[in-house]
Amino acid sequence: MSTEGGSVVPTTGELKTAPDGSILGLHEIRKSFGELVVLDGVELTIKRGEVVCILGPSGSGKSTLLRCVNLLSPPDSGRIVLEGEEITGKGTAGLDFVRQRVGMVFQQFNLFPLKTALENVTLAPETVLGRSEGECRKRGEELLTRVGMADKMHEYPDRLSGGQQQRVAIARALAMDPHVMLFDEVTSALDPELVKEVLDVMRELADEGMTMMVVTHEIGFAREAAHRVVFMDGGVVVEDGPPSQVLDNPQQERTKSFLGLVLEH
Amino acid sequence: MEFIREYYFDFNVMSDYMSPILDGFWLTLKLSILGGIFSLIWGLVLAVLRQLPGKPLAPVRWLTIGYIDVFRGIPLLIVLLLVSGGLSTLAAPIGGDVLPDFIGKPTWFGETSPFWYGVISLTITYGAYMAEVYRAGIESVPGGQMEAARSLGMSHSQSMRHVIVPQAVRRVIPPLLNDFIALMKDTSLVSILGAAEVVYVGRQIQSDIFNGSGLVMGAILFLIVTIPLARLVDYMIGRQQARYERGIA
Ligand SMILES: Nc1ncnc2c1ncn2[C@@H]1O[C@H](COP(=O)(O)OP(=O)(O)O)[C@@H](O)[C@H]1O
Ligand SMILES: [Mg+2]
Repeated sequence: MSTEGGSVVPTTGELKTAPDGSILGLHEIRKSFGELVVLDGVELTIKRGEVVCILGPSGSGKSTLLRCVNLLSPPDSGRIVLEGEEITGKGTAGLDFVRQRVGMVFQQFNLFPLKTALENVTLAPETVLGRSEGECRKRGEELLTRVGMADKMHEYPDRLSGGQQQRVAIARALAMDPHVMLFDEVTSALDPELVKEVLDVMRELADEGMTMMVVTHEIGFAREAAHRVVFMDGGVVVEDGPPSQVLDNPQQERTKSFLGLVLEH
Repeated sequence: MEFIREYYFDFNVMSDYMSPILDGFWLTLKLSILGGIFSLIWGLVLAVLRQLPGKPLAPVRWLTIGYIDVFRGIPLLIVLLLVSGGLSTLAAPIGGDVLPDFIGKPTWFGETSPFWYGVISLTITYGAYMAEVYRAGIESVPGGQMEAARSLGMSHSQSMRHVIVPQAVRRVIPPLLNDFIALMKDTSLVSILGAAEVVYVGRQIQSDIFNGSGLVMGAILFLIVTIPLARLVDYMIGRQQARYERGIA
């Protein structure tokens, strides 16, 4: 992995924290789809630079929680506070505020198929931030180099492996200079041999101090890279603590049985 | 047998009337191309209106759906008669002279009013058909594309414009071409208003000399355009199929 191109974590003064030092606060987050209660009062506070891995059985609302954070699917109730500003219940103003500060990477990559890797990375800064083509291009090349895609910048997604596509997707999210990054099972759709190259990029990002919320089944990654591990089940946070505690010495029955199942394999 | 040859394939008739038949076909082409272009644009507008997000815009969506249902469900011939009758009447004293003549009885770019009534009616009707094709195309773009675009801070319309519509349009080129073929054939209905397109000319010949060869000549001219188009559609669908099977696009 190259380290050219400087830090991707914004160091400018615009990055603010709440009085309690948190960059992101989720309070009493609730969300239902029809009768199905998916989030049932989630509480979670994340400090600047913290890497939080979220574990939990399938269907426990992990993706829904991430999608609430950037208001892709807004919570029914509860408050989300980003950098000291409440973003819930603010309409489009909240949307713009959060989407420009929170980047997201998806399980299915979701690269734009008609655009090259570089165009994928430059599209949003050009259209949303109105930056010049040259500036976006330079920044895009920098970011693609950082994720090890320097030699594939002009390839279309269908010519890239899953691991390569996912690294481009990470660069694409970073191009908006996010203060927080959300990762939703970003290695789950990858062939096993491609998982490491993506996790390496994420580890590097974590080392640089990016605030990250990572939904993952990679216990190894959680153990090494996370400052905190959160176990979710039934729409609530069941257990929350340092990896050594949650992974090696879980207090709750539900966490124990889940880890038992995951670690068996 | 002899009758068939003489009535349908009299090459003397065809060559004697070649010039008016070709003039007629030229008008057919102009109707098709203008009607086709306007339908493509109008259809896309309708499809996007139909796809607008949010509660406050629900009335726009319902109106658009209503429009599409109505004009897909009634014969083009009725639309032609209502458009020509309505516009010309509104520009006449009997209709209260509501419309100025240059709108009610348009003769833009030296073409006749029936020609423009035809273009307008084709656009109204085929816009509705094409809107449905675009919609299918927009809906066939995986939801993750819109989510990815929105998560990057792009607005709904920026996402549509830069991400969704370009993908949708590629997928819908073959079905749109099919609609274009249908539209081209339907230009023949404009003859009822007196636009001297190829079928109109063929019917004149038929009633003047009791011979159908002019109409057959017209049919052949249609086929010269429509068969290659149909082959092109097949080719493009085959190529897309191959791309899907390779797991992309
Ligand atoms: N848009 C939606 N409409 C209806 N149900 C949904 C929707 N999104 C998620 N769900 C349901 O919510 C539950 C939690 O989903 P999800 O957040 O994706 O769980 P996880 O990511 O933890 O596997 C699942 O039962 C899922 O079927
Ligand atoms: Mg999920």
